[in-house]
Amino acid sequence: MADIVSTVRIGAVARNTFREALRNRAFMGLVAFSIAFILLSLALSEMAVVGQEARVVQSFGFFAISLAGAITAVVMGALLVYKEIERKTIYTIVSKPIHRHEFIIGKLFGLIGILIVQVAILGIVWAMVTSIQGGDVGAEHLKGIALIVLEVSLVACVAVMFSAFSSPVLTGLFSLGVFATGRLIPLIEEMLSANRGLFVENAFARFVGEAAVTVLPDLSVFNVSQQVLLGVPVHLSYMGEAIVYALAYGLVFLVIAIWAFERRDFI
Amino acid sequence: MSEASTPALVFKGLEKEFKLGLGLTRVHAVRGVDLEVQPGEIFGYLGPNGAGKTTSMKMAMGLIQPTAGSIRVLGGDIADPAIRRRIGYLPEHPFFYDYLTAFEILDFYGQLYELPRKARRKRIDSLLELVGLAHARDRTLRRFSKGMLQRVGIAQALIADPDLVILDEPLSGLDPMGRREVRNIIVSLREQGKTVFFSTHILNDIETICDRVAMIVEGQVVRVGPLAEMLRSESMGVEIVAHEVADGTRERLESLGAGLEVVGLATRIRLAGEHQATALQALMEGGASVTHVNPHRVSLEELFVREAAEAGGADG
Repeated sequence: MADIVSTVRIGAVARNTFREALRNRAFMGLVAFSIAFILLSLALSEMAVVGQEARVVQSFGFFAISLAGAITAVVMGALLVYKEIERKTIYTIVSKPIHRHEFIIGKLFGLIGILIVQVAILGIVWAMVTSIQGGDVGAEHLKGIALIVLEVSLVACVAVMFSAFSSPVLTGLFSLGVFATGRLIPLIEEMLSANRGLFVENAFARFVGEAAVTVLPDLSVFNVSQQVLLGVPVHLSYMGEAIVYALAYGLVFLVIAIWAFERRDFI
Repeated sequence: MSEASTPALVFKGLEKEFKLGLGLTRVHAVRGVDLEVQPGEIFGYLGPNGAGKTTSMKMAMGLIQPTAGSIRVLGGDIADPAIRRRIGYLPEHPFFYDYLTAFEILDFYGQLYELPRKARRKRIDSLLELVGLAHARDRTLRRFSKGMLQRVGIAQALIADPDLVILDEPLSGLDPMGRREVRNIIVSLREQGKTVFFSTHILNDIETICDRVAMIVEGQVVRVGPLAEMLRSESMGVEIVAHEVADGTRERLESLGAGLEVVGLATRIRLAGEHQATALQALMEGGASVTHVNPHRVSLEELFVREAAEAGGADG
C-alpha cells in the first residue's frame, strides 16, 4: 500500500502546488478582488430596508465567498495539469519514483488547501463586515462556510478531471457549466416535474435536463445561506451527509482524472 | 542473470509513430531501434536534430509509450517506481518551477524519492557544490541563466545517487568551462560504477568520454560499437600538403580519386593510402614542393555526415 500511495510523495506535490499559488500574484489578485466584492455588500446594505442591513451583508457574503472560491477552483484547476505539461516541468516529476495518480492527488490536495485558505480569509472578512452591520456570527455560519469549502473543493475535482484531457479554455467552460448547473439542479428538477414548460415541450431539452439531474452533483446541498439567515439550525447529521455526498462525487471525478492522466504521452 | 551482467538499458525493435492533427499525418520518429547499454559504461547516443534521440529517451523513461517494441531498464519495467528510484534523468532543455530556489527545487525532488530530510539536505549541498551552484543556493530559478538551469538539471538527475543516468543533451547551453565540468562529472559517474546513457549532436562530447556510441539517423540506428573500433574500421587515408601544384598534376591526382582543397598558397590532397607513392611521384614530376605527408583517420564528424547523407539519400 505504501508503494501505491505515499503520503510523502503526495505531500511534496501538494505542498509545492500550495506554495506556487501563494507566490502567484494572480491568486493574490483574485483574493483581493473577492474581498472587495464582499465589501461591496456594505454599499448594498445601505439600500436595504432599515434593520435588514446585516441580512443583506450575510446573504450577499455567502454568495460572494462561494462564487470567488468556485472561480479560483476553475481557473487554477484548469491550469493545474496543463501548465505542468506546457512548461515541461512534468518531465522531471513523472520520471521520478512517483505514481501518476499520486501526482494528480497531490495537485488536487494542494489546490484544495489553497481554496481552504481563500474561503477562510473571505470568511473572516465577511464576519467582520457582518459584525460592523450589527449581525451575529455563530456556529451555524461557520457550518455554512464549511459547506462552501466542500462545494468549491468539489468544483476543483471537476476542473482537475477536465484538465486531465482537455485544454484550459474547455476545462474552464465545462467546469463553470457544471458549477452553474449544479447550483440549479433543484430548479431543473422542479421544471422536469411540471406539467408544462421547456422540458415538457422539447424532448431534447428534457433529455439534457434529466441527464444533468442524474449525472451532475446537486451543489445546492452545500448552500445553506437561507437556512442560516432564518435561524434554522444546520444539524451535524446534515453536515455528515454533505461530506459523504462531496466525497463520493469527488472520488468519481478523481478516478476519471487519474484514468485519463495515466494514459497521456508527454511529447 | 546477475545484477552486474544485466544490461542497464535494452531497446528491442523500438518504434514510435506520432499521429498529427486528426491522425491523417503520421510521423515515424523511431523505427525499429535495437540497443543494449552495458552496466558501468558511458554510452553516447549520437544523431542530428530530429533523429529520434529525445523520443527514444522519453520512451526509456516512460514519458511516452512505444508504438511497438520493448524496453527493459535495469532489468525491469520503467513503469515500476522501484526501477525509477534507481534512475536519474535530465530532459532536453529542462524546465523547473521558477518560483523556487535551487535548494527548494532539489528538496522537492528529494522528497519524491522519499529521502530522509537530513540525508536530503546533505546531498543537496554536495550536489550544488558539484555543479558549481553553491553560491546560488537560495536564489530563485527565474534569476538563473540557461547554463545554470542546465546545472540544476544535472543535480536533480543525481539527487538519489542513481545507478543509471539518462541525460538528454547534457552539455547544451553550457559555456566551454561548464562543458568541461559536466564531462568530468560524467566520467566520475563511470568511476563510481554508474552507467551513463547520454545523447548529443555535438561530436566532441562523444569522442572524449564515451566507451561506446550508437549513431541514430532518421529514427534508425545505423552504427553501434566502441568508438575507436568504429573509426578504425574505416579505411585509413593519407593527407599531403604541397605548394605550386600545376594543373596537369591536379588532373593526375584527381584521376587517383584524390580530394583537393586549396588553403591559401597550399593545396591539401586527401587520398587512399595505397595511392600515396603514385601521388608523391606525380607531385615531384610536376615540380611541386611537398611540405607534409600525414596519415589521415576518418573523423567521427566525417563518418556522421556520411551516414546522415546516405540515410537522406536512401529516403529520397
